[in-house]
Amino acid sequence: MSQSLRPYLQCCRSSLTAALAISNFASQTSERHNVPEIEAKSSPELILNPITISRNEHEKLYSGLTCYPDIEPSVNSVRISLSIKQADEIEKVLVHKFTRFLQQRAESFFILRRKPVKGYDISFLVTNYHTEHLLKHQLVEFIITFMEEVDKEVSEMKLFVRIPC
Amino acid sequence: MAAPQVHHLFHAPIADHSFSSDRQTLAVARENNVELYQSSGNKFTLSDELKGHEKTVTSVDIAPNSGRIVTCSQDRNAYVWEQTPSGWKPTLVLLRINRAATFVRWSPSEQKFAVGSGARVIAVCYFEEENDWWISKHLKKPIRSTITTLAWHPNSVLLAAGSTDSHARVFSSFIKGIDTRPEPSAWGERLPFNTICGEYLNDSAGWIQGVSFSPSGNALAFTGHDSSVTVVYPSAPEQPPRAMLNISTRLLPLNSLIWNGENEIIAAGHDCEPFRFRGDESGWQLAGSLENKDGDGAGGAREESALNMFRQMDLKGQAQSNTKLKSTHQNTVNAVRVFQENDGQVSSFSTSGVDGRVVIWST
Amino acid sequence: MSQINYRTINIDQLDPEASVNFPMETLLPATLPQPGTSSDAANVATQVRQLLRGGDAEGALRAVLDTAPLGGDEGAKQVHLATVTEVLQGIRQGEMTRVLEGVCAGEGGAERADCLMKYIYKGMSSPAPGSGAQSPRNKSVSPQSTGGFSQIQGRNLGEGGGGQQMSVLLNWHEKLVEIAGTGSIVRVMTDRRTV
Repeated sequence: MSQSLRPYLQCCRSSLTAALAISNFASQTSERHNVPEIEAKSSPELILNPITISRNEHEKLYSGLTCYPDIEPSVNSVRISLSIKQADEIEKVLVHKFTRFLQQRAESFFILRRKPVKGYDISFLVTNYHTEHLLKHQLVEFIITFMEEVDKEVSEMKLFVRIPC
Repeated sequence: MAAPQVHHLFHAPIADHSFSSDRQTLAVARENNVELYQSSGNKFTLSDELKGHEKTVTSVDIAPNSGRIVTCSQDRNAYVWEQTPSGWKPTLVLLRINRAATFVRWSPSEQKFAVGSGARVIAVCYFEEENDWWISKHLKKPIRSTITTLAWHPNSVLLAAGSTDSHARVFSSFIKGIDTRPEPSAWGERLPFNTICGEYLNDSAGWIQGVSFSPSGNALAFTGHDSSVTVVYPSAPEQPPRAMLNISTRLLPLNSLIWNGENEIIAAGHDCEPFRFRGDESGWQLAGSLENKDGDGAGGAREESALNMFRQMDLKGQAQSNTKLKSTHQNTVNAVRVFQENDGQVSSFSTSGVDGRVVIWST
Repeated sequence: MSQINYRTINIDQLDPEASVNFPMETLLPATLPQPGTSSDAANVATQVRQLLRGGDAEGALRAVLDTAPLGGDEGAKQVHLATVTEVLQGIRQGEMTRVLEGVCAGEGGAERADCLMKYIYKGMSSPAPGSGAQSPRNKSVSPQSTGGFSQIQGRNLGEGGGGQQMSVLLNWHEKLVEIAGTGSIVRVMTDRRTV
């Protein structure tokens, strides 16, 4: 982890930890259902203020920062959406291919959403089911690691693309 | 301080737990069933299962004197279980609600119990001899969202409720023919059914997760999702409270709390460990954790998780093998209950959590 | 009227009792201050700038957090956000811990910490001023702060402004979490009195 990224990842880590305080909560709109409230959006009081970390125009200028998470917490689920830096056409294509690859295998990643939230490249949906069956602090670490790695992954792929055949 | 007694029952969340008054029987809500454990030596072994609910059981309570067990579930039903020679027999309660039942507690008199629900009502249930049935009366106004938690006043008439509409309220649940007229108190003098004796909101809002009356019944404490504990001292009926003290903490939200005497509160929640608060009408503060962090955390096997699989995928293989938390509970604590008390002074209490553990702590 | 497709109407929205129509104003405490206007916020900004110029960083931060327009309109909130950002950027890195400890102590310290946390998140989520057309940040903050390393110097790098502001906010965030804990972040999410 590079020094310049440390405060940023620390910020994401503590924000995620705070947001993941979720519990089992049955729907109050549909009988005998238990749905992620952040997706259903049927009761405004069950959804908390969203948190966005770095979504400014000059984001790419902050050294090394390449992933911009948006955290939407609710009573029984949290949605985490990421924008991944796409500086040029090749990166755009690579990010698209990469996220598509992951999303098609979403069920192996448990918390990955099959479709990103509009305006983002990739989204996670963490529900109380996940925090009950996985360890919460490791869940946070996983998302942080993902954010660290995704940029490296894209840069690496970009290098491979440029190698002349 | 003696080391906490850890009972790791299974690898599944425990929504709620309750001990019988002789502390030999333990009832825990596990998924759609309630499991009964008997104490043998210093272990608890599974003795019986109460099957009948079709969805997650959200709450369970054993009446200390009659031994009756009441359970409620997200399938909108509540059952009262009675022990018969042929085993535990359930009786369906006529709740008349159309959303999940979220919380249930016997009143201290054991004549009634209250069921909180997602239908924005509290069903106060009592037994009707003529029809041989548990029927209910609804507390409705002014609840605007799901009821998450309930607590009874020692007089069995006043009922505190917390809701996801961020308000903690005190209601009267007086039912003619069942209750005796309560002594007038700071909460109110005449208390017909559905009188609102208090309605409280924290500045920073947050869903109310736990409520509790002090042993004397003259103070109310509640925890909210804004990581705070609030203590209310009522002054007189229809008057604003004498003091409403909000302690905002640096912790994650607390889910449940109990009083230990009039000057101490014990609460636990998403930080996986119990915390002690001390104070009186002039002010309250966090006094620290009850966890002794020096030794090893939980005894028992390392928890295996799917995240180990994620770590395999981690190219870096970062050497952070902290799969185990330092605290005794390895996940969120859902319920804190008094285990042993004398005159309001709690000598030990029990907690249960998402990690499938029931832990008995001495104060 | 014949154009309306009755099958797609969400009838729940028409029912005042439905969950989707939860009255959010009931989550605001009765003690909420009267709505301020952007000119009120501008007055506060002038006073705060004076304090900052006088070298009283702690006083400036305290004042700007105590006067947060929790009940104000969007204009007032924007002006106030700019003031807070200005104060945060005007405080040297070495002084951050000392200033924070001072601000978060004493009467109302916990509220100030929560309020600062709200502003840090708001600052991180909104586009950086300085990149766009009009920017309050371009006004000189403190001519005296030439002694020692000041984070304001980063502004002079022009285009680096956005990232620079981000890194300042991240530093503050880290320090504030050390003092006020994750509880403070939870309150940013639950508190409906937004800044």
